[in-house]
Amino acid sequence: MPGVAAVLTGADLEGRARPLPTGSVEDGVVADAGHPVLARGKVRYAGEPVAIVVARSRALAEDAAELVEVEYDPLEPVLDPRTAGGAPLLHDHVPGNVLVSWARTSGDVEGAFSRADRVVAQSFHIPRLVAAPIEARGAIARHEVREDVLTVWCSAQDPHRPLAQLGAALDRDPDRLRVVVPDVGGAFGSKGAVGVEVAAVAAAAVELGLPLRWTEDRAENFLSAYQGRGLDADVELALAVDGRILGLRAVLYADLGGYLYPTTAVAPHTTAMLLTGAYAIPAAAVQVIGAATTKVPTGPYRGAGRPEAAFLVERMVDLAARDLGLEPVELRRRNFVPPEAFPYETPMGWTYDSGDFERCLDTALELVGLDRWRAERERARAEGRLVGIGIGMYIERAGGLWESAEARLEPDGRLLVRTGSSPHGQGHETTFAQIAAEELGIDPAAVEVRWGDSLAGPAGVGTFASRSVAMGGSALVVALRELKERAAGAGVGVLELAASEGGLEVSARFGSGLVFASGAYVAVVEVRRATGRLEVLHLAAVDDSGRIVNPLLAEGQVLGATVQGLGQCLVEEAVHDEEGQLTTANFADYSLLTAAELPPIESRFVETLSPLNPLGAKGIGEGGAIATPAAVANAVADALAPIGVRHVDPPFTEPKLWRLLREAGA
Amino acid sequence: MTSRIAVELNGRLYEGDVEPRTLLSDFIRHGAGLTGTHVGCEHGVCGACTVQLEGEPVRSCLMLAVQADGRSLRTVEGLAPAGGLHPIQAAFQERHALQCGFCTPGFLLSIEAFLRERPDPGAAEIREALAGNLCRCTGYRAIVEAVELAAERLRAGRGA
Amino acid sequence: MKPAPFAYDAPGTLAEALALLAAEGEDVKPLAGGQSLVPLLNFRLARPDRLVDLNRVEELAYLRRDGDVLRIGALARTRALERSPDVAAGWPLLADAARLVGHPQIRARGTVCGSVAHADPAAELPAALAALDARFHVRSARGARTLSSRELFVSYFTTALEPDELLVEIEVPSLPPRTGAAFVEHARTHGDFALGGAAAVVSLDGSGLCEQARLALVAAGAVPLRAADAERLLAGSRPDARAVEAAADAAVRGLHLGGEDAWRRALLRETARQALERAAARSAA
Repeated sequence: MPGVAAVLTGADLEGRARPLPTGSVEDGVVADAGHPVLARGKVRYAGEPVAIVVARSRALAEDAAELVEVEYDPLEPVLDPRTAGGAPLLHDHVPGNVLVSWARTSGDVEGAFSRADRVVAQSFHIPRLVAAPIEARGAIARHEVREDVLTVWCSAQDPHRPLAQLGAALDRDPDRLRVVVPDVGGAFGSKGAVGVEVAAVAAAAVELGLPLRWTEDRAENFLSAYQGRGLDADVELALAVDGRILGLRAVLYADLGGYLYPTTAVAPHTTAMLLTGAYAIPAAAVQVIGAATTKVPTGPYRGAGRPEAAFLVERMVDLAARDLGLEPVELRRRNFVPPEAFPYETPMGWTYDSGDFERCLDTALELVGLDRWRAERERARAEGRLVGIGIGMYIERAGGLWESAEARLEPDGRLLVRTGSSPHGQGHETTFAQIAAEELGIDPAAVEVRWGDSLAGPAGVGTFASRSVAMGGSALVVALRELKERAAGAGVGVLELAASEGGLEVSARFGSGLVFASGAYVAVVEVRRATGRLEVLHLAAVDDSGRIVNPLLAEGQVLGATVQGLGQCLVEEAVHDEEGQLTTANFADYSLLTAAELPPIESRFVETLSPLNPLGAKGIGEGGAIATPAAVANAVADALAPIGVRHVDPPFTEPKLWRLLREAGA
Repeated sequence: MTSRIAVELNGRLYEGDVEPRTLLSDFIRHGAGLTGTHVGCEHGVCGACTVQLEGEPVRSCLMLAVQADGRSLRTVEGLAPAGGLHPIQAAFQERHALQCGFCTPGFLLSIEAFLRERPDPGAAEIREALAGNLCRCTGYRAIVEAVELAAERLRAGRGA
Repeated sequence: MKPAPFAYDAPGTLAEALALLAAEGEDVKPLAGGQSLVPLLNFRLARPDRLVDLNRVEELAYLRRDGDVLRIGALARTRALERSPDVAAGWPLLADAARLVGHPQIRARGTVCGSVAHADPAAELPAALAALDARFHVRSARGARTLSSRELFVSYFTTALEPDELLVEIEVPSLPPRTGAAFVEHARTHGDFALGGAAAVVSLDGSGLCEQARLALVAAGAVPLRAADAERLLAGSRPDARAVEAAADAAVRGLHLGGEDAWRRALLRETARQALERAAARSAA
């Protein structure tokens, strides 16, 4: 066809591209099932790339793609992670379709359950979600033959992980690869691991000797970008009659999809590690079964395992409160990790650095106006209306590993900061400039922040897990303190020293253990009897992210994450049919909330400082997405308690709630 | 099979050869090189590609470029006075109404037309007027506040 | 998501447009606002050989009161319904329904006739027009005919129009005195397609009894559905809460709505109840 340069299949990339690396999980077994750049012989999910068409325009490429004939011999769909073990093998070398397996037991779990006055058990299903950044993915690749340097510009969360992942997939030395990440139109976890499409475009650019561009469209993004969540779980809680939690047992069945992206294993592991939540539970046993299914792989999506953990443990606590006849607030108070217990090592083995969970809860209860809403709930119930109040505590693992920063203070007092940390909407330009300005006592307008080029900036780990301020910001502080020390040694101010020495340069790397943000959210909801519609009447968000550098930007993170969390409660769910085809593959079928659905949301911060970094910062990017579904789920269960409903899984759609109302004869 | 079209974009004439199937959004971005207009879904839901056609906000992904021949369009590049910010843009900045910024041009062009028609809108009216643009970052509240702020300033400016 | 290739004409007169639509051996589609057609083109779910763009046919670009009736030309945008003082005064139901069609950016391009010809049973305007007993004027190179909504709407996305026919005008008769109307819909998010909805028109006689009730349901099956049983039940009775409840029950009795059948019926019943209640209140005002 005129205008079509090439059509490449997996066979054409043989020897030129390897599957993406699979990542690893501490103490876990991760199968060798990395995502192939283009399918060879077997396609494991609807949406898996099988060929790429290179043409002069996107329209021509789509014309030619329609002419690519693929003969499919359908596999039996494997859709449910609970039963995937008995299904035909997706990968011949992966027994039981188990892509990730992990288990940990700590304390006397058997004893806790045998001593318990009460055991509460519940099964859960958390659906898959689509991250849906308004800018889909994309990449441009250009290979300079003479220097043998491949440059890839891509819509990613940072340049560092694409650099490593493309290097591995293309078997290319990092010196011969450059990744540039310009302005990015949102990611929410979905652009942390590089898509196989990017690797295919890069491989094709080398193969064909042409600069190539791939701009993902929305249809591709729904079908082929990794999705989030997708977890089933069986959880049990052992309690004493006074409400003390003695032990927790859980099996998590993660619906991982057809392959492992480099980050696929992260979310279920994080869920397991955080399953004891804000509570001092002495004994716990958690098993993770990461199942291969015939769906697009999952990966991190805002919260990445933490929303699942918060939803599970917070629902369990509310169920326990109901069974024991205690107020959910009271049961939580009796089990919180107390402020004096930090650093606190959980039975799963992470060490919470800091926090004050009861203060967060009290702040949230005051913010929402608990007494007023309790009275309103009673009034509503007397009228036959279904109003409920729900609490969602959360723990957010953040930070960890390291980041780096370089700074150059010009003789005229301007400061150029290069950070290995890289934004896609978080506002690093503002926050990092503010951190630098405060540290040096200069005007933030005199600070310029640069990032995003693997060749021009310092090394880094990446922007994920709400780690930018705690790690990247701290690296900047460490660098600038070194500048100040030099100046102090010379007996002058930094600006004077910079002026006299023709500018000053400094760089630093900062590393620390994990920091743990936390918080308490309270939701008030009403379920309408006539239609089953869920209305969120009020939402209070209290986050302890350690030191807040910029309250306006921090609140922006809270509100944005909270509304994503609300979307997951109200409308968002990736639905696959019995063949494994995604039926919610556009914005008409997969709705995002609009401004018109926005409920009243109020946000406050509690600041317990992390002892692990010079800023005292923890993480702010994900709390709203973590705690909101838990709080709303508890509020829904509370609203429906008078009609005998014990538990509902998200999303809380009208037909689902209406069915429950009808079954209850309401 | 292409045809020559001439479109007035932000007061300047742009000519180009387009196929019948060329979307207006693609002509604006690739033909005219005005990349402030963003493409988010190409099925008319997200609103990122919103531009103004003869002053009315429209989805540029749901128009063919040939349909704009001889018409007058405004994109985000035509919003601000040279070197400055439009009052709506300034309000967005002050209220932190954008994070990644990808949806912002579409919001701005929708809001500018909305406030021309409804200079003193109520809170519920603002939210409904914004519902044709999706934002995945901000949770919308700051955008609503920015609209309120901009409306107030535009009214004051008009009165002055 | 780029359309497959097609040929394109932008005639300047109705006669030219009809001649182009009459072309043999080609799949020719008229293009008006494009708010339904262009997404289908972008997904390549629609692949016409040729588009006949009506946007330069000035003679079709009108929305006007003509004596007692409202005339809506093929190029009248949904936004025009919303803004027209004539519509607000004489046919407020249409303005109410128009405000629920997508978003302002969609309504600025989308046309009333285009929405009708697209025949999505979840769309607002077809149901509102059905409740108003609108007449649909159709033209082709072969001649002209006029259809009722019962005759026009055949099934999901299917009308009685032949491929060479164009819906050139919708004529909406005036409403009798002491008439109230209301449009109520239920959608997942603002501007989304209706999961259920209802358009109600209630006319009272001099003694406050319901002389005529008209009720059309949105997303209640293959076509915009007039709920004849409910209308009969209300006629001659006082439209109080009990009568409205009974009519709403009657409106959805026997409907089979596929997935989530019982919930959809409950939803439609509730929107019908609200629409009738508001229409009755307005008729007495």
